[in-house]
Amino acid sequence: MAARIGDECKPVGGIAFVEHMRTLLPSIFLTGCGLGGAMHQATLVGQCSADDAACSRRHPQAPIAIGTHFYPDVSTELAGTTTPNLRLESAVPDVVAVEDGALVAHKAGASAVLISTDDGSIVDFVHVWVAPVTKITLARRDGERITSAIALTVGEDVTLVPALWNGAQRLSGDGEAQWTETVTGPVAILRDGSADRRRLRARAPGKTTITVALGEIKAAVDVEVVQ
Amino acid sequence: MIGRTLHRFAAVAAVASLVALTGCLPTLAAESIAPPGRAARLDAVSGFWGVKSYRLELSQGVALAVSCTYGGPCEKLVAKSDDMAIAEVRAASLQTLRPVGYMGNQQPTAAVVVVGKAPGTTTIRLHSNEGSRDIRVTVVPPPPPPAAVTVAR
Repeated sequence: MAARIGDECKPVGGIAFVEHMRTLLPSIFLTGCGLGGAMHQATLVGQCSADDAACSRRHPQAPIAIGTHFYPDVSTELAGTTTPNLRLESAVPDVVAVEDGALVAHKAGASAVLISTDDGSIVDFVHVWVAPVTKITLARRDGERITSAIALTVGEDVTLVPALWNGAQRLSGDGEAQWTETVTGPVAILRDGSADRRRLRARAPGKTTITVALGEIKAAVDVEVVQ
Repeated sequence: MIGRTLHRFAAVAAVASLVALTGCLPTLAAESIAPPGRAARLDAVSGFWGVKSYRLELSQGVALAVSCTYGGPCEKLVAKSDDMAIAEVRAASLQTLRPVGYMGNQQPTAAVVVVGKAPGTTTIRLHSNEGSRDIRVTVVPPPPPPAAVTVAR
């Protein structure tokens, strides 16, 4: 389980002391912690499994790539209550919209995503940035970046995950990336339930080039299969 | 003599009334910050008798939490925007306590969240048991993306 964003903001010491300081210095507590919601009451991270190194939970505050979906996991850290039923709303749906509980990035910019209760009162809000994709890289599922050709033996497989970038900035979001191969036969491209991730299964000796594309942006890797 | 005394009393009463009407109203304060490159600035518009009103510059798409106090959190705070298409205002649920008076009691923070929806100017009107405040809100468009810079030829 990844560490919760709010954890870094909790001072060490007695609860009474913390509450006292919260009372005396509310502005410091409301502006001193740079992570999570602007009101420091809720967190918004990606929905990922705990062992998924390439998942966006590792980059919960990264901009969302245009044309992708970000599936948020929203929770609150409120004293004396579990997380109430929360709703998400976007300040500017042209930039980022909320559709079926997912954030859908439409246009470059920033928009506040409001986290509210059923009665409409705002518990917290997060400013979400949207940026265009300028580069795609490939990585293994453990997060190791693919920088050269991949060699497999027949029957072996490897899972590849595309990472989206805007310059040096890693982007978050799941896109319907298109996977193609120059030569069919050596490798089978298998879905594994993820929108963008693929498992390559080596079938027969040979060489091929696997290309992953999101719109006009592409990345390719050479794969050689040996007996 | 009596006329002069009455005149002075009336002047003092007028001054006291003006102070009560202008200076002893709730105070507003920003409780969050804008994201980088965006605006969310709340300023008090002061006059001779104190704060007359507030003005808020907000970028489109940016939200700002604003608290209301009057010796403690405002009671029964409600807010309304003259133009919800430009700036929306919503009740905020801040789970913090603020001191009330000098007797050690505390009350939940009274706050609203203002959201910049589209460029333009409008007024948000806050009402509480302690009095009313207006915020003149100017929503500005986000800055255009920077042009490509040539660093070498």
